[in-house]
Amino acid sequence: MKFKQAMVLTMAAAMIAVPLSGCSGENSASGSTGDSTAPVSLELFSTKSENSEILKSLAADFHTKNPSVTITVTSPQDAGTVLKTRLTKNDLPDVLSMGGDATFTELQSAGVLEDLSKESYASNIQDSYKEMVYDVQKDAGKALYGVPYATNASGVLYNEEIFKQEGAEVPTTWDDFMALCKKLKNDGITPFELTFNDSWCTLPPWNSMAPDLQPENFTDDRLAGKTTFAATHQEVAKKYLALLPFAQEDYMGTTYADGNKAFAEGNAAMMINGNWAISEFKKVNPDFNVNLFAFPASNDSSKNYVTSGVDVLFAVSAESPNKEAAKQFVSFMMEKETAEKYITDQFAFSAVEGVEQEDETVAGVKKDIANGKVANFPDHYYPSGFDLAALAQEFAKNAAEGKDAEQNITDFLKQCDEKYDAVNVS
Amino acid sequence: MKKKNRRVASAFYFMVIPMALLFFTLHTLPFLQGVFYSFTNWKGYGKWAVVGLRNYIHIFSDPDIVQAYGFTFYFALFATILVNLFSLLLAMGLNARIKLKSTLRAIFFLPYILGNLIVGFVFKFIFANLLPPIGKALGIASLSVNILGTDNAWLGVLFVTVWQSIAFNMLIYLSGLQTIDHDLYEAADLDGATGWSRFKNITFPLIAPFFTINMVLCVKNFLMTFDQVMAMTGGGPGTATTTVSVLIYKRGFHGAQFAYQSADAVLLFLIIVAISLFQLFVLEKREAKLA
Repeated sequence: MKFKQAMVLTMAAAMIAVPLSGCSGENSASGSTGDSTAPVSLELFSTKSENSEILKSLAADFHTKNPSVTITVTSPQDAGTVLKTRLTKNDLPDVLSMGGDATFTELQSAGVLEDLSKESYASNIQDSYKEMVYDVQKDAGKALYGVPYATNASGVLYNEEIFKQEGAEVPTTWDDFMALCKKLKNDGITPFELTFNDSWCTLPPWNSMAPDLQPENFTDDRLAGKTTFAATHQEVAKKYLALLPFAQEDYMGTTYADGNKAFAEGNAAMMINGNWAISEFKKVNPDFNVNLFAFPASNDSSKNYVTSGVDVLFAVSAESPNKEAAKQFVSFMMEKETAEKYITDQFAFSAVEGVEQEDETVAGVKKDIANGKVANFPDHYYPSGFDLAALAQEFAKNAAEGKDAEQNITDFLKQCDEKYDAVNVS
Repeated sequence: MKKKNRRVASAFYFMVIPMALLFFTLHTLPFLQGVFYSFTNWKGYGKWAVVGLRNYIHIFSDPDIVQAYGFTFYFALFATILVNLFSLLLAMGLNARIKLKSTLRAIFFLPYILGNLIVGFVFKFIFANLLPPIGKALGIASLSVNILGTDNAWLGVLFVTVWQSIAFNMLIYLSGLQTIDHDLYEAADLDGATGWSRFKNITFPLIAPFFTINMVLCVKNFLMTFDQVMAMTGGGPGTATTTVSVLIYKRGFHGAQFAYQSADAVLLFLIIVAISLFQLFVLEKREAKLA
């Protein structure tokens, strides 16, 4: 009995401890140092699965021009988390292609990125997007730790054919928007395809409405604790709930992949998401006629901004042994011709001066973007541990399960404040 | 009975020592590092300082962590009971002299060979795309939507976890049942013990040690449920299916709370050790009584 007991105990203890220890690990720094002719291999890490193909093809172009440099593109699932995990191991990729979001702020404030403001291409970037990068950097002034490259636009994606059939106009005010939804529903057409089974998909409606409806200095005031979500975001939450009855059946159970497919097949008239989804639609239905308009959250149409942020910026690891080659690659990516290839493939907008998106699928917001009628994604300014997606998903789920709207809004905004404060201490 | 200075063939040391070194460097050392970091404010990178027990104290007032522990215990309780119940039933069935015994054993063991993540993704698809039409056709409201997007998401995860875990526990029970001498059953037959009383008085006492192992392994496994949740719900909807392990992973890395969540991991470790010891203590006492 004693032996067996000991054995079982050891076994149990061993098995318990395994996952706990998965957190730390060894460095695996690799790569060769040396002069420019020695073969160099770079790792380009992308946090966007949608752009890995085009990055691979552009990396191959770069390799053709610079045969000594080979670039491997990695783009794992849940890339933000993977990136932070690798940061904990001091195993940062040489070049990063990522969003101008809280993860970027984390990296930048950890001091592991290279300042690129002195590079020649830095002066060739649209100011509004440079500002967005300055905004999310910590204590960095006009240093540029990430070069804004591609920008995105979030709003309402719509099926042009259904709109034409219905004789529908693109709405520019909230009331018109609701009237349109009602009309579509009466005609037996599902107004929205929402894909709330993936928690991040609950954010686009919030991100589109909050900049239009929140007080001007909300971001700073909230950070300083001078205001609350509960005091300022009632209207956003109320309008959020107003959208849900117009969604397809079981929107809580629909995944992003399934929803994109359904939308591309014409099962709904609109989808509240961003231009990044367009390439997904085209995979299902190459002839799909889709366009994008600014989410009309307010009845004052001058306030209805296109939500546009730095979708992709390039950063170079300060600790990379191949820093020069990495910078050379970024410089190549910023060339007009390369930037055009990228945005054409991605239906994205370029931060490089003079590079314009000509595709018709995003024509609806092109003018707004060119005129600077854009607002950055509000969640780029929230602290990184603040998981708004989980809260919004719960908010929507409660609505789907018939929770009283008033109570649901109160609870949700209270949760937002509590969770925000919980991570805003450090 | 100990003999001192007895020569042991050096081959045995060659078998053990390299493994011990590997085990120590790749497992024990990182584990101890994790314990150390739980006393710091390390975010996972950058500068850090030792903060003593601050992380541990903060855990108890963190609603997210408390909620995750609540859910994890709840989930582990259901999963442990269901897995042991069904695996014992299956094992007894497959131990009887039925036709197609080997084939059936192979079929029931199959889920264990598949990776947790794969099974999770497959079931995610089944719940999202295959089940709702069936639910609709049968007129069952709760099945006509994707169960993973509702308050019942945990039942979906539970079902998959139980389905997959039965295999291994069944195997342990089966090996236990095979150690029982058939003469015992024949003797019991002569004494008129059949059905429930035969199970209660002969079968169960004889496989009690296997029950102990299964209980300990189940509780430990289910308190650390991770893969299935990550694959199927990502902890959602909202935070409804967030287990402690999922929270540690998400907040530890994505939320830059490495040290804090290390403390959480150490706490989970201590809890599991305590529960396992308690189980062993109680169940072995029962074993002794039964035998």
